[in-house]
Amino acid sequence: MSLEDPEPDAPARVEERSPDELAELLGDDIIDREQHLNAPGYVIRPDAVQDVLSTLRTDAGYDHLSCVTAQEYEDRYESVYHLRKFDDPTQEVSVVVPADRESPVSESAEPVFRTADWHEREAYDLVGIEYDDHPDLRRILLPETWQGHPLAKDYDQDRPQVVPLRENANPLQEDTRSEQDADTMFLNIGPHHPATHGVLHLKTTLDGEQVADVESDIGYLHRCEEQMCQNGTYRHQIMPYPDRWDYISAGMLNEWSYARAAEDLADIDVPEYAQVIRTMCAEMSRIAAHLLAVGTFALDVYGDFTAIFMYAIRDREKMQNLLEDISGQRLMFNYFRLGGVVWDLPEPREEFFEKVRDFLEEFPTALEEYHDLISSNEILQMRTVDTGVLPPEVAKNYGATGPVARGSGVDYDLRRDDPYGYYDELDWDVVTDDGCDNYSRLFVRLREMEESAKIIEQCVDLLEGWPEDDRTIQSNVPRTLKPDDDTEIYRAVEAAKGELGIYIRSDGTDTPARFRIRSPCFSNLQTLPEMAEGEYVPDLVAALGSLDIVLGEVDR
Amino acid sequence: MAGGVTPLQGGMLPDTIAGLLPFGGLAADVVASLLGAFLIANFLLINTAFAGPWAKRKITAAFTDRIAVNRIGPFGLFVIVADAVRLLSKELIIPEGADRPAWDLGPLLIPFSALLGFAVIPMGSGLQLADPETGLAFAFAASSIASLGLIMMGYASNNKYSLLGGLRAVASNIAYEIPLIVTGISVVLFTGTLQMSAIVEAQRTALVSVAGVTIPQWFAFVNPFAFALFVVANVAEVGRNPFDIPEAPTEIVAGYQTEYSSVYFVLIYLGEFIHIFLGGAIAATLFLGGPAGPGPAALGIVWFTAKIWAFFLLTQWLRSAVPRLRVDQFIEIGWKGMLVLSFANLVLTAVIVGVITTL
Repeated sequence: MSLEDPEPDAPARVEERSPDELAELLGDDIIDREQHLNAPGYVIRPDAVQDVLSTLRTDAGYDHLSCVTAQEYEDRYESVYHLRKFDDPTQEVSVVVPADRESPVSESAEPVFRTADWHEREAYDLVGIEYDDHPDLRRILLPETWQGHPLAKDYDQDRPQVVPLRENANPLQEDTRSEQDADTMFLNIGPHHPATHGVLHLKTTLDGEQVADVESDIGYLHRCEEQMCQNGTYRHQIMPYPDRWDYISAGMLNEWSYARAAEDLADIDVPEYAQVIRTMCAEMSRIAAHLLAVGTFALDVYGDFTAIFMYAIRDREKMQNLLEDISGQRLMFNYFRLGGVVWDLPEPREEFFEKVRDFLEEFPTALEEYHDLISSNEILQMRTVDTGVLPPEVAKNYGATGPVARGSGVDYDLRRDDPYGYYDELDWDVVTDDGCDNYSRLFVRLREMEESAKIIEQCVDLLEGWPEDDRTIQSNVPRTLKPDDDTEIYRAVEAAKGELGIYIRSDGTDTPARFRIRSPCFSNLQTLPEMAEGEYVPDLVAALGSLDIVLGEVDR
Repeated sequence: MAGGVTPLQGGMLPDTIAGLLPFGGLAADVVASLLGAFLIANFLLINTAFAGPWAKRKITAAFTDRIAVNRIGPFGLFVIVADAVRLLSKELIIPEGADRPAWDLGPLLIPFSALLGFAVIPMGSGLQLADPETGLAFAFAASSIASLGLIMMGYASNNKYSLLGGLRAVASNIAYEIPLIVTGISVVLFTGTLQMSAIVEAQRTALVSVAGVTIPQWFAFVNPFAFALFVVANVAEVGRNPFDIPEAPTEIVAGYQTEYSSVYFVLIYLGEFIHIFLGGAIAATLFLGGPAGPGPAALGIVWFTAKIWAFFLLTQWLRSAVPRLRVDQFIEIGWKGMLVLSFANLVLTAVIVGVITTL
């Protein structure tokens, strides 16, 4: 593959081609054209997926397979590959692959984009499309013994999942050794292990203390979030769910992902005042989430409940108090509404602004303390520099986003590259680091908090001076939202962990026909074997910590 | 050798007790020895009771801006009782496939090996059980028995994390025990004897006297380099941060103690804390003048206790502040760094001693 030597004609990659030019490029593989709200859609032959995607990737520069959505129509199955460019994520293309109703099979995109591996496994698991040429097409979220595909139309929810004991006997009981090498030891890390940050199960093969092979087993926290969203009405019933994906205080950021997709779908305007509030709240969430990420990473590396973890929790607590003042909640904020936010900032406003300013004033000192304790600690540097290396091209191939990609030097941040909210009016920088190792990812998070603090400060300045008669917190939104029939949209925001995307297809009713969540943790976690194989167990743990996954978002 | 020892400091504890007994002869010796051992062991267990459930929490809390136990009793001290009841009343879970006699013996070996080491430590105020001529060698040997317990636990638990922990424990003990003992030997070069009371005695003379303040000839002052080496090796030996590789909670769950609960868990923790105190006691005896300190010699036990607690405090400080090394880095530092430095220190000390004696 051309991974090692990227195309020399870099400027050509950012240049946008018109939909017709793209259609010409793809030629006979296209059988139909569609128009999604975010991008042109090309319906292609089910056996030409690899050709089309690699053409789009190498010739047109669409190097980021953001998401794969699978869905079932009355007459066919469909896989939608949402492609965009790392250099300019506003350039998007949807590749639609129909599959036969009776035997839904289409070609796998895994050989072109590694990230398609898990996405297609999920599509197979939940919807039931089979992918030809996929290296490892197994269920991913549901147990191996599951009968049926829950998001398929003919799925019978009431049918009990009876599994005979012998089939469901503990699959981990056997000591699985690698066949080529009898000197290795198989070790289950998790689902209950101090370092897995939740119920993640890593099947590791150890050679001495070195990791010869690692495979993540996810799905322990699968809560049917997509289906629950499909059963909820756009206007009010979906918004509480995003809080429960990445529940590490990043709720506001998640809510924004749904708000952005649904607002663009139903063509709802958001008042500028509400956008500023949203921007401020989102950055507050980001600081809280990053603080926990830094604290737990230190915990993973330091080993005990050390000072740094408690310090991070202490500062996060201050942020939580602010978020509680705003939304009335500490974890499940449910503060955003389509067309704005639920209520204005807390009264008395001066007192609230004072609190935020107090935090912002103390925060640089706190950050300096973190740098003293963590990033400039020599033992920590020994542990993290040049371990868990993720080269930028590999990161892109796996669809890694957020601090994980930025720690690998991939300059990709949707807040700047695909502006939403009030970000493009504010003065802040995207933080990247070329180290590609555990240390860079930690360092990027620490630096990003500085930038978030800058954004919050500017928002507070704006909000303080906002004229009182212009404080519209919500635009007029119909009580029942019924977007046009067969409208499709994929929209993403920069959440704490990376690109959190939502795909919605409406069918003219007040609930989505398909609601797909592109979780950044899901894609980021896929990179773990790349980082950990060949390293020691402690580095596997550090790499996992530096990915900062939340299983609630991985499993949804 | 006992000739130069002053009455208050010398006079082994069993002798003192035997003198108080109404009967004499062999029976008195036996009873006095047992009573003496009982007293010393209890003294340490009481210290551990304070250190484990209470002081450790309080110290860690202070480092992390928290308050910690403060509900039961003054300063939350009764939490010691509550914890003892809680831990001892828990179910003892025995894993399937555990290698029974070994699995049970491991947790017993750890506290008792550490207690055994204290038999030869001069704790001041006449508290010393025995004073053999090979005292230092005995203390090191006794504390090393714990390694056997660790590998027994790791192997017998039938758990891969335990196995990894046991292997790491043995690797770390071998790598750091050699520098530890070689550094200890550099003190012996000064004293010319392994007898603990004589080592303490050798540190009583004044090193320098400045403006009325006399700095005693503690070997920590005579050879600070050796002291630093010894403390580092000691921290590794007792398996505390940054060298807590054998337990490494975030990597291998709890290492060799993963499968232990209830009484055995208590025994392991007891053993680890006594081990920390033993490490502190050996360091205090070799480098800090043992029970020496200002005031009358009867205060010896107070100074001695303060010194072993200082070492305990150091381990807790490190635990709260210093990241853990990776296992390969840890072993590398042991073999390539500590070992070389400790031998360099030995040669250096030999030269210094040679120069002093020829002068």
